[in-house]
Amino acid sequence: MEALKYIIKRIIQTIPLLIVVSLISFFIIRLSPVDPLAELKLNPSISPVTVEKERQRLGLDKPIIVQYGKWAYSFVRGDLGITSNGERVSQKLKERIPNTLLLTSIVILLTWLVGVPLGIIAAVNWKTPFDRILTVLTSIGMAIPSFFFAVLLLLFAVKTGWFPIGGLTSPNFADMSFGGKFLDIAYHLVLPVFVLFTISLAGLQRQMRGNMLDVLDSDYVKFARAKGLSEFSVVYKHALRNALNPMITLLGFEFAGLLSGAALTEYVFQYPGLGRLILEAVLKSDINLVMASLMMGAVMLILGNLIADILLIITDPRIRVKS
Amino acid sequence: MIRYGFRVILVIILVALLLRACLVKDVPPKTGTTKSGLTDIVNIDYPLPKNVTINGVDYLQSQAPVGTFGGELISSTIGEGPKTFNPFNCKDNTSQIMSSIMYDGLLTSDPVSGQPVPKLAKSFSISPDGKTYTINLRHGVKWSDGKPITADDVVFTWRDIIFAGLGDTSTRDSLVIDDKLPQVRKIDNYTVEFTTPKPYAPFIRMLSTPIAPKHVFAPAAKKSAAYFDTFMGTTTKPEDFVISGAFKIKEYIPAQRVVYVRNPNYYEINTKDQKLPYLDKLIYLIVGDLNNEVLKFEAKELDVISLQGSKVARYKSVEPHSDFKLYNLGPNTGTMYLSMNLNNRKDPKGKYYVDPIKQKWFQNENFRRAVDYSVDRKNMVLNIANGIGAPLFTPESLNSIFLNKNLKPYDKNLNKSRELLKKSGFYTDKKGKLYDKEGNRVEFDLYTNAGNTEREAIGIMVKQDLEDLGMKVNFKPIEFNSLVNKLVSTFDWDMVIMGLTGSPLEPNGGKNVWLSDGRLHMFNMRTPSEGKAKILPWEKELDEMFTKGALATKFEDRKKYYDRYQEIVYSEKPFIYIYSPVIIVAIRTKFKNIYPSPLNGITHNIEEIYIGE
Repeated sequence: MEALKYIIKRIIQTIPLLIVVSLISFFIIRLSPVDPLAELKLNPSISPVTVEKERQRLGLDKPIIVQYGKWAYSFVRGDLGITSNGERVSQKLKERIPNTLLLTSIVILLTWLVGVPLGIIAAVNWKTPFDRILTVLTSIGMAIPSFFFAVLLLLFAVKTGWFPIGGLTSPNFADMSFGGKFLDIAYHLVLPVFVLFTISLAGLQRQMRGNMLDVLDSDYVKFARAKGLSEFSVVYKHALRNALNPMITLLGFEFAGLLSGAALTEYVFQYPGLGRLILEAVLKSDINLVMASLMMGAVMLILGNLIADILLIITDPRIRVKS
Repeated sequence: MIRYGFRVILVIILVALLLRACLVKDVPPKTGTTKSGLTDIVNIDYPLPKNVTINGVDYLQSQAPVGTFGGELISSTIGEGPKTFNPFNCKDNTSQIMSSIMYDGLLTSDPVSGQPVPKLAKSFSISPDGKTYTINLRHGVKWSDGKPITADDVVFTWRDIIFAGLGDTSTRDSLVIDDKLPQVRKIDNYTVEFTTPKPYAPFIRMLSTPIAPKHVFAPAAKKSAAYFDTFMGTTTKPEDFVISGAFKIKEYIPAQRVVYVRNPNYYEINTKDQKLPYLDKLIYLIVGDLNNEVLKFEAKELDVISLQGSKVARYKSVEPHSDFKLYNLGPNTGTMYLSMNLNNRKDPKGKYYVDPIKQKWFQNENFRRAVDYSVDRKNMVLNIANGIGAPLFTPESLNSIFLNKNLKPYDKNLNKSRELLKKSGFYTDKKGKLYDKEGNRVEFDLYTNAGNTEREAIGIMVKQDLEDLGMKVNFKPIEFNSLVNKLVSTFDWDMVIMGLTGSPLEPNGGKNVWLSDGRLHMFNMRTPSEGKAKILPWEKELDEMFTKGALATKFEDRKKYYDRYQEIVYSEKPFIYIYSPVIIVAIRTKFKNIYPSPLNGITHNIEEIYIGE
C-alpha cells in the first residue's frame, strides 16, 4: 500500500516537470532563427502564394504563445499533430520506433549478459593479468567516439565486402522467405550492434567491477570469509546481491536510452530509426516532430527512473524502511 | 629537456609539411594527367523514338538497339526521401523525381537540342499567333489499370487540378497573364486545345507537367484542397496507384528505399515491337549523405552515382580495370554566386536594414566591380572543384540554350580593382588597410550556409582575395535555414555566397530572382508592401527584359531579350558568379543503351536501358 501511494505521488510529480520541459523546448525551437520554410523560399519555381499557404497551414503566422497553446491542447488529447510535410507525426514515429527498439534492445540485452559477468570476474580476479587486459580493452572502448568507430567499421565493410553498407534490409527483402528475412536483418544488424555493444559494454563492465570491488572490501564480506564460508558463497551470495543495487539505477537510465541512445550510430549506418528522423526534423525546425520526440525522451527518462526506484524498493530493504 | 625540444621541433616540421601540402595555390595545373580525358563533354547521338501505329495503337518506338529483358537498376537519392508521390504536390526535388517516374507529361525535352518533343502526346502544333496549342493524343494507349488515356484526363488535369489551385500552385501562379489563366478545351476524345490570353513562350515547357488519371484523381479533387494535399502520399498503398509512366511503385520503405516495377501497359516499344521497359525493377535507395552514397557505390550496392570533383581523379584512375564508366555531363545547371546587399530602405521601425555606411559601398558599382575583379575563379576551380569545373560570369548556366556567348570571361586583376576603388575615392593607409572617402574602414560580414563544404571553401578564398585589397572580411558560415531567413525576411546581411538552381531550357524560371518585386530578388529584396520602391535604372530594364522575353514567341526574339538581361547582370554585378561544377556520373558498364545528356542526365531514357554482357 505504501509503495502504491509512493508510485502515484511520483507520477503526479512528473506533470509539472513535463509542462516545464515542453515550454522550454517549444520556445527554444521557435525563438531560434531557423526558418522552417527556408527550402521552399529559396526554390525559384515555388510561388509566393504557395509559401504563404504553407505558413498558414503550419500556423507560423500566429504568435508563439498561441502556437504553444494549440500544440499543448492537442498533445493532451493524444494528438501529436502533423509534420511540416503534412504527414501524421504518430505515423512517422510508428514507422521508426520498432527499428530503433530492435537495435537498442539487442544491444542492451547483450551488454548486460556479457558486461555484468565480466565485471564480476574482473573484480574477483583483481590485479591479475586477466583483469589488467580487460581494463585496457574497456579503456579503449570508452575512449573511442561511437561515430568514429562506426565510420571505421563502414570502411572495413567496403574494403572486405563482408557486410552491407548500412541500412536494415536488402533491396529484394520483400521477395525473401521468412528465414531469409530474418537472416537479412541479422546480417544488417551486425555492425551497428557491434559498435553500440563495444561502447556500452566498456562502461557497464567497469561499473560492475567497481561496485564489486567496493563490496568485496567491506566488513561484512571480511566477516563472512572469517566465518569460514566458501569463497563461492561469499562472492555470489553475499557480495553480489549488494553490488547489484547501483546497477538497478543504471538500468533505469538504459530504459531511457532505448529510444534515443543510438542516434549517432544510427545516422552513420543510415539505420532507419528514430535518430535520423529527429536529426532531420531539428535541422528544419519541424516543431511537432521535434516536440513529440523530446516529450517521448522526457517520459522515457521519468519512467526509467520510476521503474528503477520501484525495483530498488523491492531489492533493498533499507529504502523500504525510509519511504 | 633536449628530448622535449626535439619533439617540439618535430611537431613544427610536421605542421609545416602539412601546411605546405594544403597550399596548392602556386602549383601550376598539371597537364596531360589522368584528368585530361574528362574535359570533353559527352557527345551524344541519341536516336529519338518515333511514332508508329500498330493495330490502331499509336506506340512510341525506341530507335535504340534492341536489348534483353530483366534485371534491375539501383540508383539513390540523398536526404529524407520522397514526401509525396502525388506529382501535383511536390515542393521538393526528390518527390518530384519519384513521382515523375510514374506520370508522363504530354511533352518532354529533346535530350540533345532541348526543344520540346511529344511524349504522352502523339504530336502538337502551335498556331501562328502563338496563342493556341493543339495537342493530339495517342490512340489506344492505357493507364496501368487498363483504362484508356484520353482528352478527358488532360482536360481534368489542367482545369480541375492545376487551374483550380490544388496542391502546389506554382505552375498555375506562373501562368497568370494579365490576371487571366489559359483556357483548355476538349475538341474530341484525342485532341485538346490550350489557349493563352497572350502569346506566352514559357507555356510550352509547362506542357511537360504530368497528366493524372481522371477516374482516380477526380474524387480527391472534388473534396477539399487539404484532402488533396495528403492524396497519393507516402502512406498510400502501392496498388492504389494508376500510372502512365514506365515504372510503377511497388514498395516504399521510409528512410530505406523506393522500389518500382515495370508497367506492362507502357506505350513505348522497341524495333522488334516488344513492350518496354527492359528492366524489371528500378530501385532508389534513400541515403543520408554524400559519403554514404560513395561507400555504397564502392560496395556495389549502387549502380549509378554522381561524383564530386574531389572524387573524380581517383575514380578516373581505377576506371580502366573496374566495372563502371565515367561520363562528363558538362556544367551543372545550378549557379553559385557572391552577392552584396543593395538594400537602401528602412524597416517599419525606421531603422536601415543595412548600415548606411556600408550601403554607400555596396551601392557603388565600382566597388562591386572591384570585388569582382579580385575574385580568383580559376584558382577556386583548381583547388575547390579539383579542376572539375568552369569559371562562370553569367546568370544563365553554361549549358543553357539561352547563354549569351558574347560575354567574355576574364582573370583576376588586382590592379584593375585598385584602380576602380581609387576612382570612387577609396584609399589605403600605410599598412594596406582600405578606407572609404569619409575615412571609414571597409569591413563587413560574409555569410554562407554552414555544412556545405564547397561554399565554405569558396568563402575562405573570397576572404583572402578581398583582404588583398585591404578590406576586412568577417567570414561567418551559419545554418542554412537561418541564412535564408536573413536573405528573404530580415535583410540584415552584407555579403553572401549562395547558389540557385536553374533551368538550361527556360530562363523565365529566374523571374522570381530578377524581377524587382520578385520573391527571391535577394540583392535588393523588397517587402510586398514596398512594391517596386526605389527601383534602380538597370533593375527597371531587367523587369522589362523578363516581361518581354516571356511574351515573345520566336526563339531568336526571346534570345535577344535574355542576352540583354545577361549583359546587365554581367556589367552591374548584383551577383558575382563564381564557377559551375561539372557533373561527372559513374555507371556500371553492364548497362547498355546509355545516352547521357548534359540537359536531361544519364537515365533520361530509363525505359531503353537494359543489362547486357
